[in-house]
Amino acid sequence: MASENKITKKDLNKMAYMSLFEQSCFSFERMQAVGFAWGMSDCFRKIFGKNNEEMGKALQNNLDFINTEPHMAAILQGLVVSMEESGQDRELIHSLKTGLFGPLAGLGDAIWWYTAMPIVAAICCSLAGQGSVLGPIIYIAFWAITAIVTRIWFVRMGYNAGLTAVKYIGDNAAALTKAAGILGVMVVGGLIPSYVSFAFPESLVVAGNVSIQGIFDSILPSLLPLVFVFVLYWLFKKKNVNTMKLIIAVIVFSIIMAAIGIM
Amino acid sequence: MQITLMQGILIMIVVFICAFDKHMEAFMWFRPLVVAFFTGIMLGDVQLGLKAGAVTELSYLGLLTVGGTVPPDPLFAGLMTTVLAYTTGQDVTAAMGLAIPFALIGQWIGIATNTLYAGFLPAVDKAAQEGDEKKIGRIMFTGQFIYAIAFAIAAFLSVYAFQSGIAAFVNSFPAWLIHGFEVAGGLMPAVGLALLLVVMLKGENIPYLLAGFVIMIITNCQNILPVAILAGAIAWIGYTNDVKKNKETVTAEPAEEDYSDGI
Repeated sequence: MASENKITKKDLNKMAYMSLFEQSCFSFERMQAVGFAWGMSDCFRKIFGKNNEEMGKALQNNLDFINTEPHMAAILQGLVVSMEESGQDRELIHSLKTGLFGPLAGLGDAIWWYTAMPIVAAICCSLAGQGSVLGPIIYIAFWAITAIVTRIWFVRMGYNAGLTAVKYIGDNAAALTKAAGILGVMVVGGLIPSYVSFAFPESLVVAGNVSIQGIFDSILPSLLPLVFVFVLYWLFKKKNVNTMKLIIAVIVFSIIMAAIGIM
Repeated sequence: MQITLMQGILIMIVVFICAFDKHMEAFMWFRPLVVAFFTGIMLGDVQLGLKAGAVTELSYLGLLTVGGTVPPDPLFAGLMTTVLAYTTGQDVTAAMGLAIPFALIGQWIGIATNTLYAGFLPAVDKAAQEGDEKKIGRIMFTGQFIYAIAFAIAAFLSVYAFQSGIAAFVNSFPAWLIHGFEVAGGLMPAVGLALLLVVMLKGENIPYLLAGFVIMIITNCQNILPVAILAGAIAWIGYTNDVKKNKETVTAEPAEEDYSDGI
């Protein structure tokens, strides 16, 4: 048992930076194992000093399969280091790590990839689309700050609050994921009319002089993009069509529509 | 327009840096908006890079790495959309459709390295056993560099070495075929949004999707931020209620920390 804390704030900050490489050397066999273990190695060295045997055991304990969301991994790394420092049973550490990476991955994906990214991308793309360099610059700045600040915060959260914090997140993960889902889905709903362009040309008319697109617009503007997204959704979800096949199908569909002159 | 050797080398360096980040997924420099912006700068046509990035970013929104799968590559999509628009003179929307085969190159590199790095694991295990974290670091960074170099070489070949062949091939397409790719480019965001919905949409969320959609069509606002703020407010209400409900059911909950503000 360590009698006093060997890990300083500086060590934790360094671990946060090393945690940027959490996904490095990703393999199909054990996914993020190498980067995850390496990220904690400086803190382990601080705890075990020149004791290579203990160092080795701690590293090996963290080198099996792990696949979580890269930002969220920092919480786990903080937690593992605090438990190693207080000399807790490695099997306990191992089972906690294995039990937590899945729920954290779900939460992290919901927050960063399915909610933050569509919102930030939509804002920055509309700037870039108008020809403003602020689009990519805000995008880069947002993710740079996020990458660093969340990791420093998460490492401390995992280390200081230890099990309480992780348990709190675990208990409220469902509520957080649900809230992120509401946010994300509503934004996606808003993106459909502005970014999917599915429209027939004005020149395409029926019954003499009625524009087909005009008919759809008088039912509901942007009806066709909404229907098209749901057709794709249905193909993905219910028919399990593979992404690449669907992309190719969209291209073939577009070329046929263009070739016969109705789009 | 022709791409000069100098531009080819500069783009290769950009791709090296962006691919280095893509392996970690840390700073999001591999996203089309950023890659296309940098590519545009190197080609001396920033406006083109901005437009290409805006179109491509949204189409590749939902094509995310989920559970260790490798999706069509957003880095190559952003790069080649810009490059093809530059060399062939086509519209960025058509260029994005034409760039899809190149997105597969990035995907294949990802699959190859994920497989290759499984072969690194015995060496990593041995180093861990000896408690040699420096050696683990060296192996990890080797993997990190192999990945970025593979991307840089593939980019140099596609952008510079084979440019005239690719441009001649594309320019031999009849007008209706190019227009077909343009239509496909306009429809591609639907694929990304549908994929996001596959993950996020639950029966209980459908009202929010429709609300976001309707707000955008009735306000005719091209900016998503107001909808995102409203969605955030609704999500917040839902989250607070859920946490309250959790606390009432789980009475023995000591949670004092309040993380509800940021995550």
